Amino acid sequence: MKRLLALAAGLALSTAASAAEKPEKVTIGYLNLVNAQLVTKNLGLVAKHMPDVEIEYIKVGGGGDMLRAIAADQIDFGGLGNPPTAIGVARGLPIQGTMVLNMLDFVEAMVVRTDAGIKSFKDLEGKKIAAPFGSTTHYLLLQALADEGIDPAGMDILDLRPNDIAVAWSRGDLDAAWFWEPNLDKAVKDGGNIFMTSGIMEKRGYPTWDVGVVMNEFAEAYPDYVKKFVAAECEGIDYWINNPAETAKIIAEELELSLDDATRMMRGTEMVPCDKQLTAQYIGTSEARGGFVDTLVATSDFLVSQDRLPEAPSRETFEAFLHPEYLEAAVE
Amino acid sequence: MTRWSVKILDSLWQYLFQRSTLLSALTVAAMFVLWYFVTATGLANKLFLPAPDAVWNAFVKAVTKGYQGNTLQAHVGISLLRILTAFAAAVLVGIPLGIIMGVSINARALLNPVIEFYRPLPPLGLYTLLVMWLGIGEESKFALLFLAGLPGIIIATTQAIWHIDPLYVRAARGLGASKIDLLWNVYLPAAGPTILAGMRISLGFVYTVLVAAEIVAATAGVGWMIWDAAKFLLSDVVIMGLIVLGLTGVALDMTMRAIGSRLMPWLNVVKK
Repeated sequence: MKRLLALAAGLALSTAASAAEKPEKVTIGYLNLVNAQLVTKNLGLVAKHMPDVEIEYIKVGGGGDMLRAIAADQIDFGGLGNPPTAIGVARGLPIQGTMVLNMLDFVEAMVVRTDAGIKSFKDLEGKKIAAPFGSTTHYLLLQALADEGIDPAGMDILDLRPNDIAVAWSRGDLDAAWFWEPNLDKAVKDGGNIFMTSGIMEKRGYPTWDVGVVMNEFAEAYPDYVKKFVAAECEGIDYWINNPAETAKIIAEELELSLDDATRMMRGTEMVPCDKQLTAQYIGTSEARGGFVDTLVATSDFLVSQDRLPEAPSRETFEAFLHPEYLEAAVE
Repeated sequence: MTRWSVKILDSLWQYLFQRSTLLSALTVAAMFVLWYFVTATGLANKLFLPAPDAVWNAFVKAVTKGYQGNTLQAHVGISLLRILTAFAAAVLVGIPLGIIMGVSINARALLNPVIEFYRPLPPLGLYTLLVMWLGIGEESKFALLFLAGLPGIIIATTQAIWHIDPLYVRAARGLGASKIDLLWNVYLPAAGPTILAGMRISLGFVYTVLVAAEIVAATAGVGWMIWDAAKFLLSDVVIMGLIVLGLTGVALDMTMRAIGSRLMPWLNVVKK
């Protein structure tokens, strides 16, 4: 209600004073995974860019929970993998994409039980495989099987959350699982080896990435604060790239990992500097959107074929969803 | 037409047009009108509350084409199988335990701590442990549903046995009744109505943990369907699943009451 009043007031004054309006509080939903958002949070960079605003961070477990948090209007800023993004845009959630938070390399991978004798995707026939449904890894698993012409009905694909996968793995209930750090490492150390990574799938033409999103209502009321937020995240990404040793300490502290684990997991996540995000390979510019529109179109087409979406949004819808102008302002 | 069928038709007619049935129908109709109104006028966001026809379409699609590899009938069948086996096991274990605890103070003292301790635990917290112990297969799902249903039956049965008028027991003993006679002719008939009430409440508890039970490693079941559809923001499927689940619950409850009134005809005194 408060936000609605602020919006009404903002609209009333929008002719003259809208740029001077500021939010009382900014709520940031962040994904509990290895990326530069942890650096931004740890160093208080958002607060540095908007010193006069109260900032609250909320930890969100995964894409599905993030979608619910957005639908329930509980956050101003959030982050989503490309499958949940395609779902959110297709279902008309009031969000805009602002930036690439991270590219998913071997921080997400498919682990197979070493003694299960799995050498190729064909060997998965009749095996028990877990993935969190609706996530980037579920998408890649089905995509990889489709590419090999293997019917997923020939195996047991189970819907488990990452921590439940770790539990089921240690009991020996699973033959394979495609999920992410920090739990992935537990399965590898407990009789598993990496069979496929999300990074290899990227090279095959299926990049998975987390996109930063902002609620429409917030972006319309406080466009300057979206720029400030993006600038803060860009600073976090630069810090990650320029100070790997310091960053590893921060990641270790934030996720309660050992320094070695944090360093290894960091190498599995690719950070894209903000100016590079404006190139044709990534988000592109206000004039010409980049290749990530193709990724979103491909992801939503795939979800329609899986009967998880009633219909795919048009290419224009995804182009309109991406707003490179905040990134452009932040890079200048 | 025979006299009997006329009588049955007559009582059905009476039932359909008695005031309480009409009032209940009115409530259902009012809810539908309200639902239709808030969606047709755009008061409710379609993403959160889809229109009745969207939910109906989701139902038809699930029945004819299925949802993620299984038809709705298959999802309902699997869930009902899980619910009914767990509930039957809870009844088979709960009623004898309840009788023992109702008859013997020592047995009650011995068993109460366990039941009182796990009863208020949130199912999801308990479930993590069950998965560690029993794995991600049917065993842990069964255990969660069973544990949800058990306390209601035990507590109702214990109470019912405990409150039986001792005069009945003494009179039966005086007439030479054995322990088996006492059980079948005194304890169970006198405690029956309360045990039935406990069973109905306990079936409700089993229903409330169904979605939780089917969250972990299921690929079929109404609870899983609701959970999966929610991840993809398919709210029409979610609402359809909840309605189907609710209706099966009502049907099971009515069946249980019907069986109860056949077994205990003295319950049939209708309060108007």
